[in-house]
Amino acid sequence: MKLATRVRKFPFWSWVWFILGVLYFVLPLLATFEFSLTMERDMIGFKAYQKAFADKDFWSTFGYSIFLAAMTIIVSIILIVPTAYWIRLRLPEARRLVEFITLLPFVIPAIILVFGLIRVYSSPVTIPFTEIPLGQPLTNFKFGTNVLIVGGYMVLGLPYMYRSVDTGMRTVDVRTLTEAAQSLGANWYVVVARVILPNIRTALLSGALLTFAIVVGEVVLASFLGVNTFGPYLFLLGQHRAYEPAALTFTTFLLTWAAMGIIQLITGGQGQASGAH
Amino acid sequence: MAHLALSNVSKLYGDFSAVSDFNLEVEKGEFVSFLGPSGCGKTTTLRMIAGFELPTAGVVSIDDVDITNKAPSQRNVGMVFQAYALFPNMTVAQNIGFGLRIRKEPENAVKQRVAEMLALIHLEQKGNSYPYQLSGGQQQRVALARALAIRPQVLLLDEPLSALDAKIRVALRAEIRAIQRELGITAIYVTHDQEEALSISDRIVVMYEGRIEQVGTPFQIYNFPETNFVAGFVGTLNTAEAEVIDSARGLVSMDGVQFVSSDDLSGSKKGDKVRMSVRPERFSFASEQKKDNVLDCTIENITFLGSVVRIQVKIGSTKFNMDTFNNPFLELPKIGDKDQVTCSKEAVLVLDS
Amino acid sequence: MTQTALPASRMRTPRSKLRNWIGVIPFFLFAILFIFLPSVRLFIGSFTNEAGQFTFENLVELFSQDYIRNSYLLSIQISAVTALGGGIFGFLLAYSVTVGGLPNSLRSALVTFSGVASNFAGVPLAFAFVATLGRTGFVTVVLKEVFGVSIYDAGFNLYSFLGLSLTYMYFQFPLMVLVMTPALDGLKKEWREAAENLGANTVQYWLRIALPILLPSMLGAMILLFGNAFGAYATAYALTGGRLPIITIQIGAQVRGDVLHNPNLGNAMAMGMVFIMAISLAGYSWLQGKTERWLR
Repeated sequence: MKLATRVRKFPFWSWVWFILGVLYFVLPLLATFEFSLTMERDMIGFKAYQKAFADKDFWSTFGYSIFLAAMTIIVSIILIVPTAYWIRLRLPEARRLVEFITLLPFVIPAIILVFGLIRVYSSPVTIPFTEIPLGQPLTNFKFGTNVLIVGGYMVLGLPYMYRSVDTGMRTVDVRTLTEAAQSLGANWYVVVARVILPNIRTALLSGALLTFAIVVGEVVLASFLGVNTFGPYLFLLGQHRAYEPAALTFTTFLLTWAAMGIIQLITGGQGQASGAH
Repeated sequence: MAHLALSNVSKLYGDFSAVSDFNLEVEKGEFVSFLGPSGCGKTTTLRMIAGFELPTAGVVSIDDVDITNKAPSQRNVGMVFQAYALFPNMTVAQNIGFGLRIRKEPENAVKQRVAEMLALIHLEQKGNSYPYQLSGGQQQRVALARALAIRPQVLLLDEPLSALDAKIRVALRAEIRAIQRELGITAIYVTHDQEEALSISDRIVVMYEGRIEQVGTPFQIYNFPETNFVAGFVGTLNTAEAEVIDSARGLVSMDGVQFVSSDDLSGSKKGDKVRMSVRPERFSFASEQKKDNVLDCTIENITFLGSVVRIQVKIGSTKFNMDTFNNPFLELPKIGDKDQVTCSKEAVLVLDS
Repeated sequence: MTQTALPASRMRTPRSKLRNWIGVIPFFLFAILFIFLPSVRLFIGSFTNEAGQFTFENLVELFSQDYIRNSYLLSIQISAVTALGGGIFGFLLAYSVTVGGLPNSLRSALVTFSGVASNFAGVPLAFAFVATLGRTGFVTVVLKEVFGVSIYDAGFNLYSFLGLSLTYMYFQFPLMVLVMTPALDGLKKEWREAAENLGANTVQYWLRIALPILLPSMLGAMILLFGNAFGAYATAYALTGGRLPIITIQIGAQVRGDVLHNPNLGNAMAMGMVFIMAISLAGYSWLQGKTERWLR
């Protein structure tokens, strides 16, 4: 809201707050960047970056993070899109319950989630209330652990992904689109693939990017479940080295900026926050 | 002595001229409407009176006091907004009393005034309600009360009824007019709805593209429009191109059909192209009574509109609408019939093309 | 004539209610496996003692054991401080780019950056602040060499409550900005004009109209900030290495190595956290509802 054109005073205090804010946000980034450039004594250079990117552990953990992010995004989409669609079309009664569920991750921070997951899945799976075992604890298997962590990541990303998809569907009014398509003779497959999905592309992309940002930076689930992703790697690196972590930190920042910038571009202005870790 | 006066007021946004050469004198207690389509500058002018826009040139004065550069909070004009603009965090009573409390009036004076206002708008029971609990029409009445509570010199209303349903609009505009009359307060009313303006104003200022087209009473504006725009904007109108045949006798020819008009054509000469207009209700069937113009026509279409029957006739090669009051015992012609219609020479308006 | 109308069963018809619920089974299954089961397990565990019987002991210990109670208090303190500080300054930032009159380009830059900064939390954020305010950090050094002020000598320590709070602000400010920007947009221009028209000046407008209208959103946002800080783990761990015993760090230690020798106590601690977060979320929802009702 801009004041009516009557008086154009110079917004002094606004500039004060804004500049203070800029200072606060920029200084740490500057400090990190400056530090990352001083690996070689008395010289400004990108040696820290070179060394960081030369480390094959970096690539394996970062790559693994990306892989897990991709899995999370794909499974999330497969789970959430049909659910949101179904609720809009056939089951509005479930809406409140489902929305409540998507709020639960806000009440269950990562540390609690991983605690619960470990409690449940690191003991042998039994038929409830008995001691009869059905299978080995999931955490005994690498595949099992991966399933766990993808599930955990899906939980963390659930509020944002669901809300994004749901809003996208509401904006294009999928119910009317579906009826229009059906009256023209389209079967379900065509409706979903050629009418619904293309129209919620923006929402999907936005949700996917946010999930990506969450997963790649995530450290709690990964370290407690013993999965070798980028988060724990960066933390460990910080225990032993000084310059490479700074270089990677700055790179992480640039990556996150890129992801958010893309979201901003495609959604035209709705910022998205994923909160503290 | 004018109560509210605008002299040579204009407003420029860069190159764009939103308002130009605006001159108006309003008497105390007068109800004046600014009427025109979107973008004609009526709201801008109103906002200059309120103080939310600064004129690029010209003077605004109330009671001979120059207020052109005064801050909006210092002008003592009351404004009613299109979107009501009631403060959502305050009750109706608190909204109405807001201006008085700002002026630090004693609390019991405020309470009394608020009660007066609530009675004026017939919402005595709603004092403790919040805006969101009220209907649109009720909210607008509260907005009116809020503006009137401070005893302003001038009341400004910016399309106050546009957001409301048609039925409420009609009821509320009458109520606004009644209150204004009762309080004797000078009022400026902006609207794009010509029926609204015609029904409640003492005078109407018709505006188009930033300029005043015509100022006059509703009767004058409707029956004696001075420009093409006013003629077309206010009421329905039949209009066609014509050529002057005899300027002394007021004869014009449209499609070869001759019309006589009482308008002054001395400024034109034979052969000049003009625009000729006749209001639909000024036509009647020649079989009832012959007036100055008797025209042969063919019946093209008959539309029953309720109280009015609209008959489309073809004169020459041009279609005209003729409106006549519904009369269950009148025999209407059939489509395709040949007939004669008539109108007086005063009914034929000749305006420059 | 070709049959263009579809058979009735294709269109929306009232099917038996039960069949309709089939479509949401996968989602509920996921929720059960990954949300409800873990939560219920923790919940039940907190009421169980070592012998497997029902008990309130664990809950009592939450209050009676000093170190647990103090952990909660510390977490609440840091969450409250960063919620308040983050709330105030975040509001001022949001104000400056909306009502405050700064150019629109700055507004989108701030909103985008806020999205970035709030995702930057965790290990990278901790490292960045070490590089800034650590013993040899950029700002520390500049203050010393340029202004002659040695903050560490004066008692400042990044790895402390103050340091952690400063670090938390990096995602608290942005979150406040993201929530308050739309709320400030919701301040209709007409309210300001109506107030002016009735004789109010800027201060009166803000005190009597704008701030009261914004208050539910602001409080709701600050509650959100509270919950945000309360549940944070990685930033604190990466920065202070567990030295600052906030409740999340305690729980983390418990998950790692059962330091309490009573796994059910850990469950209780976790449930205590969830309880506090749930109250926060409820408070936030209630305030949201109130705002929406007013501003219909």
